[in-house]
Amino acid sequence: MTETRCKDQVILDLWHPLAALSEVPAGVVVGTILLEERLSLACDGTGKVAVWRSRRDLPVDGPVDISAVAGTLPVKLAYGYVWTSLGNPPADIFPIPEYAEADRRKLNAATFGVNVSAPRAIENFLDMGHFPYVHTDILGAEPHTEVKEYDVEISVDRDEILATRCRFFQPMASTTSDGGADVDYIYRVPHPYCSVLYKSSPMDETRLDVIAVFLQPVDQEHVRAHMLLCVLDEDNEDKVIKRFQQTIFGQDKPILENQFPKRLPLDPRAETPIRADKSAIAYRRWLSQKGVTYGVIPAAT
Amino acid sequence: MITLYDYELSGNCYKLRLLMGMLGVEWKTVPVDFYPGREHKSDWFLKINPLGQLPVIDDDGLILRDAQAILVYLASKYDASGTWYPRDNPALLGEISQWLAFADGITGTASAARLHDALFYDFDVEAARAGAHRLFRILDEHLWFGEQEGRNWICSAAQPTIADIACFPYIMLSEEGGIPRQDYPAIRRWCDRLKRIKGFAVMSGVFPAGPAKAA
Amino acid sequence: MLDLAKSRWHPIAAAHDLPLRHVFHGQLLGREFAVWRADDGYVNIWENRCLHRGVRLSIGINDGRELKCQYHGWRYSNRTAGCTYIPAHPADAPARTITNRTFAAVERYGLVWSAEEPQGEVPEVSGFAEGKLLALRAIPVNAPADVVAAQLTGYRFQPSGNIDGSAAKVAVEASNAFSVALRSSEGDASTLAVLFVQPVDSNRSVIRGVLDSEVEGAARLAVLRHHNELLSRLRVAVEAEAAREPAPAPLEPIIERVSPELAEMPEETTHGRKATIRVQVTRKWSAADGIAGFELRPLKGLLPTFQPGAHIDVHLPNGLIRQYSITNGPGESDSYVIGVKLERDSKGGSTCLHETVREGDVLAISEPRNNFPLRRDAIQTLFIAGGIGITPLLAMAQALNNQSLGHELHYFAQNQAQLAFPEKTKTLGASLKPHLGLSPDQTGAKLREILSGYGPDKHVYLCGPGPMLEAARAIAAEMGWPETAVHFEYFKNTNVIDDSTSFEVALARSCMTLTVPAGKTILEVMRDAGIDMPSSCEQGACGTCLATVIEGEPDHQDVYLNDAERKSGTKIMTCVSRAKSARLVLDL
Repeated sequence: MTETRCKDQVILDLWHPLAALSEVPAGVVVGTILLEERLSLACDGTGKVAVWRSRRDLPVDGPVDISAVAGTLPVKLAYGYVWTSLGNPPADIFPIPEYAEADRRKLNAATFGVNVSAPRAIENFLDMGHFPYVHTDILGAEPHTEVKEYDVEISVDRDEILATRCRFFQPMASTTSDGGADVDYIYRVPHPYCSVLYKSSPMDETRLDVIAVFLQPVDQEHVRAHMLLCVLDEDNEDKVIKRFQQTIFGQDKPILENQFPKRLPLDPRAETPIRADKSAIAYRRWLSQKGVTYGVIPAAT
Repeated sequence: MITLYDYELSGNCYKLRLLMGMLGVEWKTVPVDFYPGREHKSDWFLKINPLGQLPVIDDDGLILRDAQAILVYLASKYDASGTWYPRDNPALLGEISQWLAFADGITGTASAARLHDALFYDFDVEAARAGAHRLFRILDEHLWFGEQEGRNWICSAAQPTIADIACFPYIMLSEEGGIPRQDYPAIRRWCDRLKRIKGFAVMSGVFPAGPAKAA
Repeated sequence: MLDLAKSRWHPIAAAHDLPLRHVFHGQLLGREFAVWRADDGYVNIWENRCLHRGVRLSIGINDGRELKCQYHGWRYSNRTAGCTYIPAHPADAPARTITNRTFAAVERYGLVWSAEEPQGEVPEVSGFAEGKLLALRAIPVNAPADVVAAQLTGYRFQPSGNIDGSAAKVAVEASNAFSVALRSSEGDASTLAVLFVQPVDSNRSVIRGVLDSEVEGAARLAVLRHHNELLSRLRVAVEAEAAREPAPAPLEPIIERVSPELAEMPEETTHGRKATIRVQVTRKWSAADGIAGFELRPLKGLLPTFQPGAHIDVHLPNGLIRQYSITNGPGESDSYVIGVKLERDSKGGSTCLHETVREGDVLAISEPRNNFPLRRDAIQTLFIAGGIGITPLLAMAQALNNQSLGHELHYFAQNQAQLAFPEKTKTLGASLKPHLGLSPDQTGAKLREILSGYGPDKHVYLCGPGPMLEAARAIAAEMGWPETAVHFEYFKNTNVIDDSTSFEVALARSCMTLTVPAGKTILEVMRDAGIDMPSSCEQGACGTCLATVIEGEPDHQDVYLNDAERKSGTKIMTCVSRAKSARLVLDL
């Protein structure tokens, strides 16, 4: 058995996403990388999936009968993605109850490679202050730049970070009015490399759209970002919904790739937080408390 | 009206959006799910472009493919000033064609590296990066001597041409393929100048420039 | 060798790499720089990293006065690299210590020089006369600096006066690990070329060549091309040689940690009434009838970063301390400009500045303090200035003007000759609206007109004489302006202070209980007890000595707090206000 290069047991024991199930062809080996290890996966077309450490006798793009593959890794199918673990994973993946609601559209907006650590990408996902500057005229617009007070807690029983009462001004906030207005957000970080966002639905003001980012750590400074959309939309084609999310992510990408250092520094004195960064501060503390070392620069002790 | 078969994150599609914006031409967009849907290889799209490539335009029934070819067409038809593709200046047209081919070289290298890193295309990324650096060295030198001669743009003209538009996107997006532009200061200055052309618009991955100093 | 290199000066850019409104991406010994020239010509060399989230500032925007980070729009001032505005918190003045790391910058020989820990001066090159040199195109090379420098000793070129010749003799006049001086001669022609090797990183360098003489006309390009071609050819050889060795690991420059206060999301740091800065009056002039302008430059170093609305304490030769607003526009960071009106009933402050202080005099001033911060998230901002009240509003209007944010500056004065700083107000264009020679009634009517049509995302800033401020605040309230949209600053507190009461003050965090007797202020009693409390005007006008009230009922005697803040009873100005209750508990 290959010895894994990642020594961070917290990270090794997690479930990690590898691919959108809808994009895995049946009976063909797909290659990917997780925590610096080459992995292969395949499905059989009936919903069964196998993941294993890549082997010469089962080359990528070659045919495979997954029932005959020995020495496979643990597998879970959740939220439309194939998940695996290189350690001893928990019984369940964190819950997203809304995923079970029948009237939602569930799509993989895209899986993009990004030259950044997973925690930097999570922090960007939690951040509202950049909307007017990075997502100009879409998620925000100058001069409406204020990040209003919001609440952050680390939920002990669920072991996740929860930021509530978040609001940010969005131009063209809904399909029914032309003007801008505050839009409500809730952010969850239920996994060191995954985050779930709830946002006012433009279609139904009583419900929230769900957008999640699941980061597959290729190595400490590279990720594959899988973006789940779980939204209320009866009008638009899939590709229109995906295009919007890809546009947003494409705008964040050059910011992420120009952050230095690429790994997230956990030393509180490495960067300068402001009140708007409360959720990021909680996230950094939470990673420190868990003892995460992969993809971060741990604080000197 | 022009119909653009478009993918937001495509630098080649962006070339056309840029020029149409600068020319003040209106268009409507048909989104093509290039990634992850591979819709450009779908049956309906192959009927429009058998090469299975973006972008394509449909201008009142005239269907054209290839970003550089479409730039030539758009500038020839819609540029009243005649500066983007000056039809009556053979020497300049020759220069423009030369740099349009160069832009294809940038697509073949810098864009390939980006497709490898961001969309997991199975390319030889080291070769692509090395190829892009070779081209960027040539362009940086060309632009540096241009500045010394009082020339702001790629071709020997007082105004930008479609050669500038054709080279711009995949240079701006090169960092997404692991190709820094730090060693190309003249290219970085030219990018600022291009971003200040009236009608300039961004795409995902490209930031705007601030205002130039008022004269 | 690279350790030694840290103390040396190295060229990191050519002067022509820094056109206005551009940010150059530089690097030296592994450390990246954002390099930019402000419109006033100053060259800024900064660590290429926004202190907030580490984003490269080389992708930011140089607006001529400030550098704006692309991620969250934080603005950093020309010269000081201090943060002047954080858009996520528009109502706050950023703690002025948020300052990016800066590096020394010297322009010489057509190059821009810097050093990690500079010792001595930029190297002197004998035979180089400033302004008569020719800087060559820089050639980046993927090879270590010493390998490049060694190869450069064999560089062969023609003298500029005989570029088409082929028989030049080239002699090495000097060489070291980071530069080579070569003289090429053929016939009467002779050219000295100094080739500096910038150590970019362990395996990357830039050759920056300078010739000892400028060349005119078409020959100039020929000379530049001659060297570009030869140096490019040399690069091919050097890179091939370097590629035979395994590439050394990239250098890892140490990123300094931010101060502990910044890491903790601090309250405004406390400073007593300290005059820590010495400035020289480098210019004194008549800024308007009865108003003297003073330009104050630091005796050494740089002045601290200021924000629009900030004031400084000026310690006068006669022992008085007075507060004056900084009128500068953004990025004008080489001096502070203040305006001083000669007061008819001057107790000696304005008279001293007008009559005694002269150009060349040295004054002590405090760091700038901003208790009148400007929000920049309004759709429309109104500034209403009466007389010398123009000074803080002038700084604010210039800041909004620089960012193209909507604003009007209404400037009330008796006549044209009393409009101060015309050279600054002129730059505001049509947003400047002077109102001259109005009676009190006419002023009221004009204020009504200006303040009509309140809407969300409108803010008004008022500064002027007390009666005018009272009138404007009353009219604003009447016209539906909420207090949160009305911002004001009084010149002075004209209330008669009643200090006859005696009461107890408990300092919750310091675990102290003090008695404030009649005739003494809370501030004085705290100072006597060794508590370091910031203060400035000490008459209840400037807002510096603000404290939070946890318990008890304050007796407000200041002019800083607005009515809602007074009623809430949670804030107190410790320099003048007292207690109605027998005991006050403060969060100190």
